Amino acid sequence: VQSYISRSLDPYLNLSIEHYLLSKSSADSTILFIYKNKPSIVIGRNQNPWQEINLPRLRGVKSGEIAALSGLETIDIVRRRSGGGTVFHDEGNINWSVICPPANFSRDKHAEMVVRALRGLGVGRARVNERHDIVLDQGPDSQKREDVPNKDTHRTPFTVDDQSAPAPLKVSGSAYKLTRMRSLHHATCLLSSPNLKVIPQYLRSPLKKHLTARGVESVSSPVGNIGVDLDSFVGAVETQFEKMYGEKTQMTECGDELLEEPFVKKGYEELKSLDWIYGQTPQFTI
Amino acid sequence: MLLVGTKVSHFPSRGVIHGRRQHIPRATFATTRRLDVVKPFLLADIGEGITECQIIQWFVAPGARVEQFDKICEVQSDKASVEITSRFDGIIKKLYYEKDDVAKVGKPLLDIDIQGEIGPEDEAVVAGGEEQPQEKTDKKTTIEEVQVKSETISKHDEGKATIQEQDSSAVGQRGKAATLATPAVRRITKELNVEITDVQGTGKDGRVLKEDVQKFALARQEQGQPSAQAAAAPIPQAIGEDKVMSLTAVQSAMFKTMTRSLSIPHFLYTDTVDFSSLNILRKKANARTTASQQPQAKLSALPFIIKAVSIALSEHPHLNAHLDTSDPSKPKMNHRASHNIGIAVDSPSGLLVPVIRNVQSHSIASIAAEIVRLSTLAQSGKLAPKDFEGATFTVSNVGSIGGGVVSPVIVSPQVAILGVGRARAVPAFGEAGEVVRREECIFSWAADHRVVDGAGVARCADRVRGLLEGLEEMLVNMR
Repeated sequence: VQSYISRSLDPYLNLSIEHYLLSKSSADSTILFIYKNKPSIVIGRNQNPWQEINLPRLRGVKSGEIAALSGLETIDIVRRRSGGGTVFHDEGNINWSVICPPANFSRDKHAEMVVRALRGLGVGRARVNERHDIVLDQGPDSQKREDVPNKDTHRTPFTVDDQSAPAPLKVSGSAYKLTRMRSLHHATCLLSSPNLKVIPQYLRSPLKKHLTARGVESVSSPVGNIGVDLDSFVGAVETQFEKMYGEKTQMTECGDELLEEPFVKKGYEELKSLDWIYGQTPQFTI
Repeated sequence: MLLVGTKVSHFPSRGVIHGRRQHIPRATFATTRRLDVVKPFLLADIGEGITECQIIQWFVAPGARVEQFDKICEVQSDKASVEITSRFDGIIKKLYYEKDDVAKVGKPLLDIDIQGEIGPEDEAVVAGGEEQPQEKTDKKTTIEEVQVKSETISKHDEGKATIQEQDSSAVGQRGKAATLATPAVRRITKELNVEITDVQGTGKDGRVLKEDVQKFALARQEQGQPSAQAAAAPIPQAIGEDKVMSLTAVQSAMFKTMTRSLSIPHFLYTDTVDFSSLNILRKKANARTTASQQPQAKLSALPFIIKAVSIALSEHPHLNAHLDTSDPSKPKMNHRASHNIGIAVDSPSGLLVPVIRNVQSHSIASIAAEIVRLSTLAQSGKLAPKDFEGATFTVSNVGSIGGGVVSPVIVSPQVAILGVGRARAVPAFGEAGEVVRREECIFSWAADHRVVDGAGVARCADRVRGLLEGLEEMLVNMR
């Protein structure tokens, strides 16, 4: 059982470190890895950037035609190796990732772990939804708080089944990569992003209705911030992780020095290459 | 050959292990006896009730040689990207999908020519004599390198060391080609004629020790006696090969339709109908047709049956209905005015069910003509899609081939179906108790018990029987 935290804000490096941990770690180990990225848009392995991202806007920002909001002067485009949809990363968003043997793996297991961490920090509205994402229920504060036991990570006292009620706000999206020996589950977590209002502008592509594409389309959800500070979150997740696996771990820092490891360097170059980011798009027609 | 070089060359590498496997090269040995079995490798269930996923990339191409646990392809479904690895050693023969295609779970992904284990194994250990010294030194080098690496790593901070040490243990745990063993152990395996990959290692990191090999050889000897006797008796071989056939278009349609029918609770009601008077009338009518040399079809029993069913359906409209379950909380029955009766036709491409429309307005002769027309089109494969639409009831005359009591399956959204068996001559009792010859046919009715009850079907079936046994009745009620 090991846990790591990255000092780097480079999304390509962090994903390469994650891939290194996935490929090279011992088959029976379980690893927690936490990292933060500078502003970037991360698309899934099999997605279409023209369909998911407002590329003209990004280019406009780069060339200075469109004034960028503070902190968003450069936004990287990254294609990760796991599946799923498109997410916006910035420094108010924390990414957590768990790598474990397939025998112990289930899609909800670690999402539930993080929900327990959040509830421990007083975020009673957090729960895991049917798509294995973490959402904050928006239902009214009802009196029947005692009815829903705190152990149930899929319901909160604020859960309303009524379709007309305000939809829960998504705060974390999950994606998976499954190999023969290892299973990886990673997810985002919006703690305190200043860019919530801006995200839709970048993730709505003007080309979308003109494209017929194979590949995975994103499922849009309204998003919200959890409102917890970074260190508390990391501490709570680490505690829950140790509790789940019954072992104390020393969270080890890592960062740029891992670029010296050839496997990491190779993965890093691959993720940065245009051929990977754009060339790996499945067939589509305009 | 293999794309995306994740594999080392087939010869023992003198280089540093990057967590890769060393193995005894099979390709170097002459004439290996192989079980040439080309098997389709199915896309395994990846859980979560997922039925299909998209191929992101292939790691192999037809003609490529793969080993067990080599990466075959990467697929994507919803949020997960999954690496599929090979179950066998062998050569890829055919890929069923291209990149970006959607692959179905449980269906073949590719065909692989599996390399049988028997021949190569024996020859490997024997012919491997000359190779051994070379391998031994290489193995030694690599083992030393692993140890050196571990030592140097331990000087770095702990975090990385854990990864590196566990790296070599991961090697030990991986597939059967991971054979960490000292040269001494390898000599013993050669002496005792043991394949090292068969031996369970009890040493550090799963290494095979001398005792493991010796124990294995001993155990194998004890097994050897009975197995030698078994080998004496000839093993019955299968004649011919297993074949995997995907469904034809007609079969696929049948599959889809009948799968929908699974939700219908069927009940069966059978009845015997006396065809004696019907057959007398038919023979008379057909004799007249032949004599008149008119281009009219000879009448079989089927047009009579269909007309009788139509007359009965006018009196029992709930059997000529469509069940509408689009709103599961409010199921509805749409009683249909037209009697569009589907007739099951056996064609070269399989079971087809074209529809005779508005049987209530047809005469028996025109029904017979329709049957001939539709059958001819079916035999030549020229039926149009509209010939299959809108059936409100189905009659399946399997009796033209054979059958007694049959259990037909209702075609959704219809609520009933009639299966007709073969008419046979049977002895029966006349009015004075004398034995008479009768021609009997068994009618098997199936109905949807969610909306039809036994009494409803029984009455309708009885009406049909009455009409066919007493054709005067049919004449009187003909429209």
